[in-house]
Amino acid sequence: MNAKPEQRPDPFTVEVIRNALTAIAEEMSLIVMRSARSPLLREAGDLSSALTDSAGNLIAQGRDIPAHLGVMGSTVQEFLKRVPPQKLQPGDVWFMNLPEAGGNHLPDVKAIRPVFAEGAIQAYAVSLAHWADIGGARPGSYVPDARDAWQEGLRIPPLRVFSEQGPDREKLDMILANVRGAQEREGDILAQMASTYSADERLQEVFSRYDAATVQAAITDLHDQSEAEMRAAIRTLPNGVYVGEDWLDDDGLGGERIPVRVRIEIQDEQAVFDFSETGDAAAGPLNATPFTASASVFYAMKVIAGPDIQPNAGCARPLKIIIREGSLLHPPLEKPVVGGNHETSQRIVDAIFNAFENTIPERLTAGGSTTSGLLLFSGRDPRSGQWTTLYEVHGGGEGARHDRDGMCVARPHMSNVMNTPAEVIEANYPIIIEQQALRSGSGGNGVHSGGDGQIRTYLINGPEVVMTSMVERCIVPPFGLQGGEAGKTFNITLKRASGETENIAGKTHLRLQQGDRIIMKTSGGGGYGTPPTHDSRETADS
Amino acid sequence: MPCGGNHNEFPLTTKFRHFSRVNGMSDNDKGTWKVGIDIGGTFTDVLAINAADGEVRTAKVRSQTHDPITSIVSAYAAIRIDWSTVSDLMHGTTMATNAIVEGNLAPLALVATEGFRDTIEIGRQNRRELYRLEVTPKLPPLVPQHLRVEAIERIGPEGQVLKPLTEAEACRVAGIIDSLNVDTVAIALQHCFVNADHEKRLGEQLSSTVKYVALSHEMSPEPREFERTNTTILSAALMPLTASYLDKLQAGAGDHSNIHLFHSAGGMASVEAVRSRPLTLALSGPAAGVAAAGKICSELGLDNAIGFDMGGTTTDTCVVIDGKVQVGSDQRLAGRPVRQLMVAVESIGAGGGSIARVEGSAVRVGPDSAGSEPGPACYGLGGELPTVTDANMTLGYLNPERLLGGAIQLSREAAGTAMQTLADAFATSVDEAALGVYRVANASMARALRRVTVKRGVDARSCSLIAFGGAGPMHAVALAREFGIARVVVPKFSSVFSALGCLTAELSYAEQHTVRMPSADWDADRMDTLCRSMRDRLSTPIVAAGHAAGTIETLFIGLIRYAGQSDTVEVPFVLPCDPEKLGADFRARHKKLYGFATEEAWLFESLRTTVSAPSQHSFTDIHETGQEKSTTPISVDQCWFDASGPVTTRRFERGALPVDWEVEGPAVIEDNWSTIVLPPGATAWIDATGHLIITAGTGA
Repeated sequence: MNAKPEQRPDPFTVEVIRNALTAIAEEMSLIVMRSARSPLLREAGDLSSALTDSAGNLIAQGRDIPAHLGVMGSTVQEFLKRVPPQKLQPGDVWFMNLPEAGGNHLPDVKAIRPVFAEGAIQAYAVSLAHWADIGGARPGSYVPDARDAWQEGLRIPPLRVFSEQGPDREKLDMILANVRGAQEREGDILAQMASTYSADERLQEVFSRYDAATVQAAITDLHDQSEAEMRAAIRTLPNGVYVGEDWLDDDGLGGERIPVRVRIEIQDEQAVFDFSETGDAAAGPLNATPFTASASVFYAMKVIAGPDIQPNAGCARPLKIIIREGSLLHPPLEKPVVGGNHETSQRIVDAIFNAFENTIPERLTAGGSTTSGLLLFSGRDPRSGQWTTLYEVHGGGEGARHDRDGMCVARPHMSNVMNTPAEVIEANYPIIIEQQALRSGSGGNGVHSGGDGQIRTYLINGPEVVMTSMVERCIVPPFGLQGGEAGKTFNITLKRASGETENIAGKTHLRLQQGDRIIMKTSGGGGYGTPPTHDSRETADS
Repeated sequence: MPCGGNHNEFPLTTKFRHFSRVNGMSDNDKGTWKVGIDIGGTFTDVLAINAADGEVRTAKVRSQTHDPITSIVSAYAAIRIDWSTVSDLMHGTTMATNAIVEGNLAPLALVATEGFRDTIEIGRQNRRELYRLEVTPKLPPLVPQHLRVEAIERIGPEGQVLKPLTEAEACRVAGIIDSLNVDTVAIALQHCFVNADHEKRLGEQLSSTVKYVALSHEMSPEPREFERTNTTILSAALMPLTASYLDKLQAGAGDHSNIHLFHSAGGMASVEAVRSRPLTLALSGPAAGVAAAGKICSELGLDNAIGFDMGGTTTDTCVVIDGKVQVGSDQRLAGRPVRQLMVAVESIGAGGGSIARVEGSAVRVGPDSAGSEPGPACYGLGGELPTVTDANMTLGYLNPERLLGGAIQLSREAAGTAMQTLADAFATSVDEAALGVYRVANASMARALRRVTVKRGVDARSCSLIAFGGAGPMHAVALAREFGIARVVVPKFSSVFSALGCLTAELSYAEQHTVRMPSADWDADRMDTLCRSMRDRLSTPIVAAGHAAGTIETLFIGLIRYAGQSDTVEVPFVLPCDPEKLGADFRARHKKLYGFATEEAWLFESLRTTVSAPSQHSFTDIHETGQEKSTTPISVDQCWFDASGPVTTRRFERGALPVDWEVEGPAVIEDNWSTIVLPPGATAWIDATGHLIITAGTGA
């Protein structure tokens, strides 16, 4: 079925090509998940895959993590600003993680492969994987009290790590020498490389069936389709100006709450998101990049107005995003960003929901556990003598909606990373999970109530373990909608082997001893609608 | 997951008359019969072979979903036999699948380790839909909180007892269960797959209190508490239903018939084995078709094949590698994890009934389906939206002169009317729109085929495509060309293919156990003991069924990974197990699957053992009773294969084609249930066994 080059492929051909491209992106994620080493990738699925066109415009993505997917087009565009395309060769795989270069935070390392056909670059395959360690001051590369970007780990500018001849051993060793768990990291790097390799092979099949001109014309069409769909979606929102805000608990250094503010202007089929009133760059690691902010806006528009829009670069065309340089969402290069990726990005979605609360409440969900709920345990496993790091994220209650209660324990909005089973944790880390239970009564009351969070108790079962937390919603609770009550805040308690008990801050780092317990209670979801009676549910904490 | 059979589904409201095709006209009391029966959601297929003279009878009757036994009785009646003349019944059923899909499960209680009763509600905490807020993030748990009981006990990750289960505690738990008024209990304790003592003792205690008990270390002896607990709950919840069905079945069979059931891993199991592990029926229906595809491969000497079963609403794909049907232990049913060995079937919700629609300037096919109510527009049963079947009708593939399944008169005009809306939207002709829908449908089928081959690390180009189901043979050649697949096989008896699969299947049992032996710390004695004891245990029921120990085959597969990986690679081996060879084979497989392998140490995670006795029937000795042979087309029509316009296409009756006579495309070969499309460039012939073999060609 060799199609002749033509100006505009028929819609059926476009659809056939879309299917093929999407299948390729999905297959990439499958390969990383199945062959990677870190539990974070293989158990929890903290990874994403995408294809872009030769200019870095997103054309297809896997069904992965929204926070990643929004930035991958920008990654390639920024990559191309730094590496001229004529330097690229078939078989290259370049790695990079700079937040300021289309990035989000250092642990999310992108592997980029140029795909050639008919003697020219036709596309890029991008595999993003969250490395369980990228070096820096603390195991797991989360430094809640970081004051600069270099404390957060190894910064990788565009670096050709693989070429047609195979790996560039010196560059690989340079990377591996600067991260913890070199062997596990090397396995992850190979998995990312393998996924881009498979994408290349599959794309070659597409280009052998249709010539490059036809495929490129189809891609143009797909971008136009998505643009039209996004315009139609915006038209479903009433014209007007909407203002919303939400607050970060603090900046990780014990500072004040930080506002995330948005002013949205809907004008027919255009939407402007102005974040100028958002607070200044934080001293600690809660800054986000403009790329992360765009990912959040795109996510919010998709869930509010057009869940079926095919995600690609065309969607962004009717959206204008204004971000003030020097603000929390466009920090100076030297500022730390590790937590902003999954905490501040969620605040942006919450602020947008807040803006629309009185206009389209039935399309929104009340505040959920919009935090990664991240706890990192790192320590030597006495059984193997090996140093291990567990990166675990925790879901909480889903917010209620106009027509149903929120569900218990789910990951909301920008992330969708899974938990690690207790049996896997106990077999691989010096930790015993004593309890994983629903935190009953933690969802906010309302006509429909918010979902409950969870309780998980970690018993430390090794002599030297350190823990890092990167958690929001400890101070500012998940909001209710239309009179619904807020959900309970996130709460972490340390119970020492000696019996002493203390509350742990959302962003902290501490040393633990054998027999210590961390009792983590995730936040509940907000309720929807004023509760019928005000003798609300039992509020004593469980 | 499919809940229907492998056939186009028809609306229950149609004036559907029992269609039966009886080959041969013998007396009812001429000896005993071996019978394969597959009860699907819509149809029950039966194929029987006479022990005395090898006569074969087949039929297809409506399934009686409210009472599956009735389906068997009416299938018997259709081929004029009864229980008294059936020596062996080999039986596949979608009963368990349907019960799970429809949520028609027994109420039950769960016993979990102290602190873990909510595991099934917490799940893995990820949401199903990334961008749909109105969809609940997860499925609700199968056991509500008030029926979840915690037992004070704790086993550690190495099997050490961290907190013993006391007699008093076991009694306390039994007391609580007693007060819950349930007949069925699932028990799933932490780390029981390493040390099952607590589960066993609790199970004994509870077996005096309740009728059905499922223990997680028996149902799914693998780590990951959420998945194992769910598997155990589903097993327990199917027990009452399965027991009552098997009781009826055994009452019907009396002393006359031996009953074997088709299990999800692609072989036969005894009634007693299924009774204690009813979840093994979860994929019973599709597994029969998959096993038959595997059997065809071994008989035709094909190494690798893809099974392609396209029905009205779902399409199932599976792979056969090196002549072996692929099984996996990491699948989902109706959105819930099921960790047990099942044939690796990849299902997509697309088939002949998938609706094509305009979305902005784009065209989409599916996921909405006209299903069996009202069905495609060309069925004339009230459907108005254009479906894939309507595209096939418009292109001239389906025969308007023929009653589909002997019952439904197809209308080309109705198909064209439905297709017109698409044609208008894109300013093309109706035929071009139909051609487009046909291509887009193939593209989504290609995605399913891609997934099933990628997961198994097999290059689709090395495979043959085995096409069955109502719509499979219509799309098979076009799909084969997409992948560069050279050969397509449309098996004989393709309309009762699953029943044939039952009749030709091996008696087999399979199990998987966690071992966790590092290559650096290899314990050859332990491995040897494990393998032999597993083999002996699995062989027992086969020997009991009368097979000589010498005829029993054992397949050992090591599930191996590098330290730190989660997914394992399947590496077959023989006794005595040689770790050097195992390591080399593992690295070779890993490289094939993922494109790289390193020299580091590896871990033998689990042992999978399959024990089987060869089946007594092969395709070659089941003959379709002949019809008069003819090389004359039954009609000559105009069919579309590409945008250049319609071409003159001969239409043949499949049963009339002489063996080895080559049909060159463009042509259509059909019987009452399926239509095989041969585009220009393809060639087909009936082989000596009766399979239709197609050389796909290139078309251009």
